[in-house]
Amino acid sequence: MALGFTLAVFGGALAVVLGGIGSAIGVGLAGQASSGVMSEDPGKFGSLLLLVALPGTQGIYGFLSAFLVMLKLGLVGEALKSVSVYQGWQILIACFPVAFAGLVSGIHQGKVCASGVYMVAKQPKDLMKPVIMAALVETYAVLGLLITILLLSGIQL
Amino acid sequence: MSIAQVQKVQVVAHSGVKMEVLSALQEEGLVQVERTDFEELGLNSSSVDVYQLEHNLYRLSHALDYLSRWDETGFAKKLFAQKPQMKREKKDEALWFDYLSVLNEVEKIETKKNELLSELKFLKKEMEFLDPFKGLELPLGLLKPTETTEVLIGSLLVSRYEDLQKISGEEGLWYEVVSRDKRRFYLLLVYHKQERERIEQILRELHFAPFYFTEPVQITEPLLSKTEEQDRVKDVMRKIDEEMQVKREMLEELEKEEKKLFEHREQLMRVHDVLLNEKERIFCTSLLGETERVVYLEGWVCSSDVKELKSKLQPYSEVTELYFRDPLPEEDPPVILENPKPGKPFELITKLYGLPQRGSFDPTLLLAPFFFLFVGLCVSEAGYGLLVALLSFLFIKFAKPRGGLLQFLKLLMLLGISTVILGTLVGGWFGFPVRPLMILDPLQNPLSFLYLALALGFIQVWFGTLLSMVNSLKNRSYLQALFVQGGWLLLLPSLVLYLAKRGSIWGILSLAGAAGIVLFASPSRNPFARFFGGLYSLYDISRYLADVLSYSRLLALGLATTVIAMVVNNLCQEALGIPWVGWLIAALIFVGGHLFNLGISFLGGFVHSMRLQFVEFFSKFFKSGGSPFKPFELKSKFVEFI
Repeated sequence: MALGFTLAVFGGALAVVLGGIGSAIGVGLAGQASSGVMSEDPGKFGSLLLLVALPGTQGIYGFLSAFLVMLKLGLVGEALKSVSVYQGWQILIACFPVAFAGLVSGIHQGKVCASGVYMVAKQPKDLMKPVIMAALVETYAVLGLLITILLLSGIQL
Repeated sequence: MSIAQVQKVQVVAHSGVKMEVLSALQEEGLVQVERTDFEELGLNSSSVDVYQLEHNLYRLSHALDYLSRWDETGFAKKLFAQKPQMKREKKDEALWFDYLSVLNEVEKIETKKNELLSELKFLKKEMEFLDPFKGLELPLGLLKPTETTEVLIGSLLVSRYEDLQKISGEEGLWYEVVSRDKRRFYLLLVYHKQERERIEQILRELHFAPFYFTEPVQITEPLLSKTEEQDRVKDVMRKIDEEMQVKREMLEELEKEEKKLFEHREQLMRVHDVLLNEKERIFCTSLLGETERVVYLEGWVCSSDVKELKSKLQPYSEVTELYFRDPLPEEDPPVILENPKPGKPFELITKLYGLPQRGSFDPTLLLAPFFFLFVGLCVSEAGYGLLVALLSFLFIKFAKPRGGLLQFLKLLMLLGISTVILGTLVGGWFGFPVRPLMILDPLQNPLSFLYLALALGFIQVWFGTLLSMVNSLKNRSYLQALFVQGGWLLLLPSLVLYLAKRGSIWGILSLAGAAGIVLFASPSRNPFARFFGGLYSLYDISRYLADVLSYSRLLALGLATTVIAMVVNNLCQEALGIPWVGWLIAALIFVGGHLFNLGISFLGGFVHSMRLQFVEFFSKFFKSGGSPFKPFELKSKFVEFI
C-alpha cells in the first residue's frame, strides 16, 4: 500500500517538476529576448510582458494536475486514502501527458515567444499575431492536461 | 455583416482653394486620399517641405515631455483622465498663442539648468578630492618648492606604506600622513631638490599617486583660481561649499520659473496637435495632381458618406467639381466593415486576422456568437467575469475612450457578461460552485463537459463547411458545392449519428455523402485518376476529426480556472489557521490568488478562443487580404477634436 501511495505522489511531483522546467526555460528564453528589446525601447514593457508570461502556463498546468493528485490521495483536507500498487502506477502514468507535453511544449513555446518579441520590436501593432503563434504550440500542453485530468478522474480509489 | 460599398471620388478644384478644400476634407475625415497617377495625367509630382514644421513639432513634444514632471495628477486620476477637447472649426485659434516664446523660455531654462548641474557635479568632485587633505593645517601658499626642497602631496596604497617607511630614513625624504582610509594613505612629502630625480623614480615604483596642487593640471586649475596664499585646505573647501550653495539656489529659482511655464502645457498641447495636422495636410498635397490653375484629388469614400461629403464641400461648389464612380474591376478599394452595434466589438478579431478580400464577405457576425460562448466556457468563473465587465464598464463611463480602445473595452465587457452566465452554469463564483444554478459540474462529470465542447466544435466546423459551400456557389462551381461540400455536410453528421446509434439510414446517408466526394472532388478527366483522387480527398475526414477534437481545449481551460480558484480558496483556509494574522494572510492570498487566476484565465480564454476562430473556422471559408480604410482625417496626440 505504501508503495502505491509513493508512486502516486511521484506522479504529482513529476507533473510539477517537468511542467515547471519547461515553463522556466520557455519564460527564460522569452525574457532574455525582451530584455534585449527593452534596452532599446523601455516603453514596450507592457506588451512584451504578455509574450514572456505566455510559456508560463505549462508550469501552472503541472501544478494544477499535482493538486488534483493530492485531492485524490486525500493529502488536502480529508483523511489519507489507501492506494494499491496498481492504482499508484495508474496515477503516476496519468501524470505523464501533462508532465512531458508540458516540458517540451514549454521550451518550444518559449522559442516562439522569443522570436515574437523580436517581431513586436519591429511591428509593435502586430502584438496579437505572435501570441496566436505561441498558442498553437500551447495546444499540446492543453491536450496533455486534458488527458491527465480525464485519466485522473477515471481512476477509482 | 457586410462590407460597406466604397466609391471613388475625384475632386477638381481651383488652385486658389486647395488648402481650404483639404482642410475641409481633413476635418470631416471621410475620404482616403490616393496618390494621383501622375504618369497617366502627364503631370509631375510636387515635393513638399515640412522641415520647419517638423522641427517645431519636435521642439513642442520635447518641451511637453520636459515639463511633464510637474504634472501632479495622481496615477488613478491620470488613468481616467480625459484629453482636453478642441472644436474642429476653431482649431486654428490655438495658434494665436505665442508658443514660440514659451518654447524659447523652456529651452533656455533647460540649458541653464544643465549647465548648473554639471558645474555642481564638478564642484562635488573637487570636494571629494580635497576631503582627505582637510586635516592639513598649512596655508597652501607654503606648499611650493623652495630653493632646496620639493613639496608633493598624494596618496599611496596601504600595502606600499611599509616600503615608504623603509626608504624615508636614508633618502633625505620627509613625510607626514595627513589622513588614511581603508585603501590609501594621504601624504605630504618634502624632499631635497638634488635628490629629485632619484626619489621621484622610487615613488613611481611604489605607485605613488601625486596630486599636483601647485601646478595647474586638469582638475586643480579652477581650484587654484579660488585659492589665496594664506588659505588652508579647509578654507578652500568652505569656499567651494559656498559656491555650491549659490548654484543650488539659482537652480531652485529656475525650477520655480519652470513650474510657472507648466501652466502653458495645455496650450502647447493644442498647438502641437494643430501643427501636426497642418503637417499632414501639407504632406497630403504631394499626392495631388496640380497644374497652374487646377488641382486634382482622387480617393475613396464610403457610399453612405457621399451626401455628407457633398454638403461639406458646398461652400466651394463654384470652384470645385466632384465626380463619383464605382470601383473598376482592376482596382483594389479599401475595405470598411459594417456591423450592427453589438457585433462591432468583434470586428477586432476579424481585423487581427486580416480584412476580407474584395468580393468576399465579413465573417464578424458569424464568429461572434461562438467567440462569446467559448471565452465564457474557457474562463467559466462568474466572479471574474463580473469583475472584468464592471471594470471595463467603469472605464468606458469615466475615461470616455474612443476608437480601437473603446471597441476593445466593449468586447471585454461582453466577454465578462458571457463569463458570468457560463460561469454560473458550469463553473462557480470565486471557486465556490452555486450548485442549484448549475447545469453541469465539470469536476464531477468531465466527460459530459467534453461532449458539450466537442458538440460546439462540430457545429462550428460544420457551419464553416456550409460557408465554404456558399463560396463555391458564388464562384459558380455548382458541382463542387453540391457534391463535395454538400457531401461533407451530409457525411459528417450522419457518420456521427451512425456511430452513436447504428441506424442503417445514417449509414446510407454517410455513404451517399462519401460517394459525392469520391466522384467529384478531383478535377481530373481520367476516370481512374478521378476515382483515386476522390478517394484520397476522403482522407480529409482526419482533418475534420482533428478540428473537432481541438475544441476539447474548452474543457481543459475551463477546468484549469476552476481548479486554480479552488486551490486559492484551499490555501486561504489553511492560512486562517495561523494565529493572530491568519485572516490578513488569508485575505492577501484570496485577492492576489484570484487576480492572478483572472489574468491567466482571461488571457488563455481569449487567445485560445481566437485560435479556434482562425485555425478551425476561418480555414474553411475565409480569405483575407483586403486593405484597411485609412481616411485623411484629424490626428490627435494630446487633445481630442470634437
